[in-house]
Amino acid sequence: MKIDRRCFLSFIVGGAAGTALSPLPWKITDDLSIWSQNWPWTPVPPAGETSFVTSTCTLCPGGCGISVRKVDERAVKVEGLKGHPVNDGGLCILGLAAAQLLYAPTRVRGPLKKVDGAWREISWADAIKEIAAKLADLRAKGQPQSVAWISESDRGTTAELCKRFLTVYGSPNYFRTPSIQDAYETALYLTQGQRAMAGFDVAQADFVLSFSSGLIEGWGSPAYMFRARNAMRQNGGRISQVEPRLSKTAAKADQWVPIKPGTEGALALGLVHVIIAEGLYRKNFIDSRSTGFDALKQIAGASYAPEAVSRLTGIEAKTIVDLAKAFAGAKKPLAVCGRGSGRIPGGLQEVLAVHCLNALTGSINQPGGVIAVPEPEYIDWPEPEMDAVASRGVQQPRLDGAGRDGFPLARYLLNRLPEAQTAGASAPVQALFVSGANPVYSLADTQAVAKAFSKVPLIVSLSSYMDETAAMAHYILPSHAHLERYEDVPAALGFPKPILGLSKPAVKPAFKTKYVGDMVIALAKAMGGPVAEAFGWESYEACLKQTLGNAWDTLVKNGYVVDAKFKPGEFETPSQKFEFNNPALAKLPAYAAQRAPGDEKSFPLTLIPYDTMRLASGPIGSPPFLVKALEETVLQQNTALVDVNPATAKDLGLSEGSAAVLSTPKGSARVKVHLFDGIMPGLVALPRGLGHTAYDKYLAGKGVNTNALISPVEDPGSGFEAGWGIRANLTRA
Amino acid sequence: MDQQNGNTKKYGMVIDLDKCTGCGACMVACMAENNVPFREDDTDKLLSVSWMRVYRLGNGKPFPQVEECYLPRPCQQCEGHAGHSPCVSVCPATATDYDMRTGIVSQIPTRCFGCRYCMAACPYHVRQFNWWDPIWPDGMERMLNPNVSVRMRGVVEKCGFCFHRYQLATDKAYLDGRRELEEGEYQTACAQACPAGAILFGDLNNPTHAVHKIAQPDSTHGGRPRNPKAFRLLERLGTNPKVYYLSSKEWVRKAGDNQVQRTEQTPKA
Amino acid sequence: MEKPQVNVTSAASGHGEKEEGAGGAVILFFILGLVGSLLVGWVLFPQLLYSKKRQPVDFNHDKHMELVSDGCESCHFFRPDGTYSGVPQLAQCIQCHEEPNGEDPEEVKFVEEYVKKEREVPWLVYSRQPACVFFSHAAHVKMAKMDCVTCHGPIGESTSLKVYQANRITGYSRDIWGENMLGVKRKSWDRMKMDDCAECHAGAHVNPGSVQTQKDGCFVCHK
Repeated sequence: MKIDRRCFLSFIVGGAAGTALSPLPWKITDDLSIWSQNWPWTPVPPAGETSFVTSTCTLCPGGCGISVRKVDERAVKVEGLKGHPVNDGGLCILGLAAAQLLYAPTRVRGPLKKVDGAWREISWADAIKEIAAKLADLRAKGQPQSVAWISESDRGTTAELCKRFLTVYGSPNYFRTPSIQDAYETALYLTQGQRAMAGFDVAQADFVLSFSSGLIEGWGSPAYMFRARNAMRQNGGRISQVEPRLSKTAAKADQWVPIKPGTEGALALGLVHVIIAEGLYRKNFIDSRSTGFDALKQIAGASYAPEAVSRLTGIEAKTIVDLAKAFAGAKKPLAVCGRGSGRIPGGLQEVLAVHCLNALTGSINQPGGVIAVPEPEYIDWPEPEMDAVASRGVQQPRLDGAGRDGFPLARYLLNRLPEAQTAGASAPVQALFVSGANPVYSLADTQAVAKAFSKVPLIVSLSSYMDETAAMAHYILPSHAHLERYEDVPAALGFPKPILGLSKPAVKPAFKTKYVGDMVIALAKAMGGPVAEAFGWESYEACLKQTLGNAWDTLVKNGYVVDAKFKPGEFETPSQKFEFNNPALAKLPAYAAQRAPGDEKSFPLTLIPYDTMRLASGPIGSPPFLVKALEETVLQQNTALVDVNPATAKDLGLSEGSAAVLSTPKGSARVKVHLFDGIMPGLVALPRGLGHTAYDKYLAGKGVNTNALISPVEDPGSGFEAGWGIRANLTRA
Repeated sequence: MDQQNGNTKKYGMVIDLDKCTGCGACMVACMAENNVPFREDDTDKLLSVSWMRVYRLGNGKPFPQVEECYLPRPCQQCEGHAGHSPCVSVCPATATDYDMRTGIVSQIPTRCFGCRYCMAACPYHVRQFNWWDPIWPDGMERMLNPNVSVRMRGVVEKCGFCFHRYQLATDKAYLDGRRELEEGEYQTACAQACPAGAILFGDLNNPTHAVHKIAQPDSTHGGRPRNPKAFRLLERLGTNPKVYYLSSKEWVRKAGDNQVQRTEQTPKA
Repeated sequence: MEKPQVNVTSAASGHGEKEEGAGGAVILFFILGLVGSLLVGWVLFPQLLYSKKRQPVDFNHDKHMELVSDGCESCHFFRPDGTYSGVPQLAQCIQCHEEPNGEDPEEVKFVEEYVKKEREVPWLVYSRQPACVFFSHAAHVKMAKMDCVTCHGPIGESTSLKVYQANRITGYSRDIWGENMLGVKRKSWDRMKMDDCAECHAGAHVNPGSVQTQKDGCFVCHK
């Protein structure tokens, strides 16, 4: 038998026939198609039991109720809590993306110590022991006041624990990051004698006049403002937005009044002038519930006639008169200020001018007006025992001069700290704790801030993330992420009622982290002596539970306690009236429009940073979903776009998409040009919240940090940060 | 059409552009709900996957008469004529389908083989192609929602009115012995999240539902809204979409007939 | 398939006059090929395609059924939100098995390895479906009043868990395609593929919604 080619072919054919008659080809085709639809590298999220944890969002001071959706032990999504007085089911873009912050790759997974410029892991016990030893040294040297603490808030148990630690240790130097709240709280105190937070009853107002406030761009409690704005417009209310740029708030307002940046206060005084001149103010309020009206009359009467204001603000005199009439003619008018999200600072006199406008129409502590929301009083701990070192230390002047001769009205002037640190031969801050803040990114003139911080021998960051400030620190003692811990939320910013929220752990801490409150207690215990004795609590949770007392159970169940029957208190000034004038007010320098710093010849344009809901501009870096949701008119690849009026761009020889260099007295950056008719000629607008050097690849290196381009401006009289912009130039790259 | 299960649903949306603030919460709520992937550089919007997108419309006037409006654009869930929506008509793989019982245009990614014919057919740019494998940074895959399957590279995806929430809502109803869902039991993630309350969702066929009352669809004229403030995108194409927009401004209502295309063609520099 | 065979044999016979044995060899090789490939397809292929895995712990459904009051739903229950719990988690088992109740080595292993260590048992689920499948137990069990056996077979009467055969290509259990390599279905629970779902859905119970197929809508079962 000869085996030839034909046999081979025959074998093949037989094999083919047999294969076709076997299940192999049909089954394998089916299996391969299933495989190709379920590639093993495409993740399959495990199924499980769905549950919801009621909590309060702590990503901003807005105090929204949240419902964390879990699948077994995974936090899958954060949603708004239905029925919550602040947000009633809605939630802002950042809150919705919060699970990305929980599972962020830039989470610090355990305590770190910087050794020779590199991070080394360290145990909690060792880290606290080492830091306590350094603090003990400073105390032994009689310099307890050289320890400073920076945080975003000064309210609630966490802030109180930090402040208590500093006090018993012997330092007065607790700092809150600057925002328009500084000026608002001072304005309320000066005119009404009330130590209170400003609440805004936007929902019940019928005419809201906003001086560059981003009512729908993060101002106050974002989700509440969204709802309140809709509610008031639903009832026929109107909104007039005074702002140099057609922000989203301006675009959605009934009227947009473009104004030269920095002159908002002048317009407010111009309106005061018209309202007084035409006798449109509420006489019963002025006559029976206020004093010092003549002083206001004099100030506004002398130099703020419509024509003069028109020259200052660039608004036509007739528009000013009409606006004044519309405002005073409304039943429940409300004027608000604080640029953008309210994190762009402003001067005290500007806020006072707007506040007086409200007083003229009686919109103070009335439905639809500005409400003085009392500071929360549930924290009632026994006064700590202080030793001689501590008593002497806390008597030392604050490093920023707040509360002293120069700036008697201010409580915190963090903006003055960098200069204080670098001015003298010896650096006054020897140890610095930073919790819930990212000053190296968020303070104006970041280079100067970084320089000042580089002169601090010991920086301890309590951040959950490797942010810009943490990167500069010597130790990172990472806190739990916001969905992993208990924390009280003492107020909802701008909400017209006192409300107390509770943030609850939705998931167990994923890493070797410790909440700030627990870290402070542990550090105090490691210090021993009177410092340890002031912290008798076993843990932060025990402290919180004890502090909240009867409210605890309700807070755990509902997530909040609101004083529904709240009525604003009476004025607490010596006259028990609203004071347009008093000795403290008289001492303040007169209002002057705040110029942008810089030389007008070399910098013919003005740069105005602006806020957008799609970028977190505070201490937290935007998670990937926010950057993804950015418009193509804001960011293209890694380059930020600046808004420029087409007429200005033409003068500069720039067109849509042109690559350009934006320069200011503080620095320069490469940008692209976006022609936007909604911005006044002569201005350049740049979004806040970009230009991070820290965080993950989804955020770092994209765009420009506006804070690196602007310089701080000190508000005369109050000392508050008041820098809203800077002179700039834009040239073709 | 559906005797045993009672009447036929026609789930639809009414988006009030007077209320919409352009904040983008709907986009992110959608991304988080539906496991939408993200990339290091997602700024090229023609390549970026986003089921919901908020467009910026302008009235085209110079400073200071310029006006802006923001327009959220989910899938428009076109019914066309008798369910022949543009994308469903062209899909060679039966990966996308129109369901007459709910009015939802479904997209089953595992069935799709990525020819992108539907993307060409869709006049609203609601469909996006996965040019890359979806990758979550280490640890972040823990936030993935098991009720929505993760899409692989090479397939088209789009908004399906969160129909997994419909599935879950019907599950709950069945357990309670009900066949019918209450208004509000089935809500899309964007409608639930909108902090301005601009997005309403419900059954357009049900006269008691808010969406029906507001849009007042005229079933004899291909669902055209009777409410003079309401309009649909590219009405003239006869796609018969189920997303109605409200605006008190005439230029916005007019822009709805061409602006979506124009914005998309903004040249990239 | 027969055409080439005819051609080859006719070609062989064309030359057959010269070489007597050639035709026989051709036929022999054809048969060798045929039988070999049939053996590969029917015997070797299933052996290669499926890997055999034992469950981490053996489980006696029958014994449990005697002890519980509510049948299958005692352990495989509906959650209040309408979703189905599926395979029980440790938390449920612990209610009875905090300590071994008897001397069964499997139970002892279960308590020692999983209960005491608080580890979930990595059960291999015979009916596991791809991620794109949404299956509503509520619709079938509560609304349509179907019993468990229709799809899952008489597993409640089993005294031990059978070997789990995982398809090496797809990763899913052999039970999805069915034990039978041809995929022939004798009993309603023999297969769990999409066609099997569609077979019932195309029947009188469910009304069509799909414009494309005139059958049930896609997202009724997909996600």
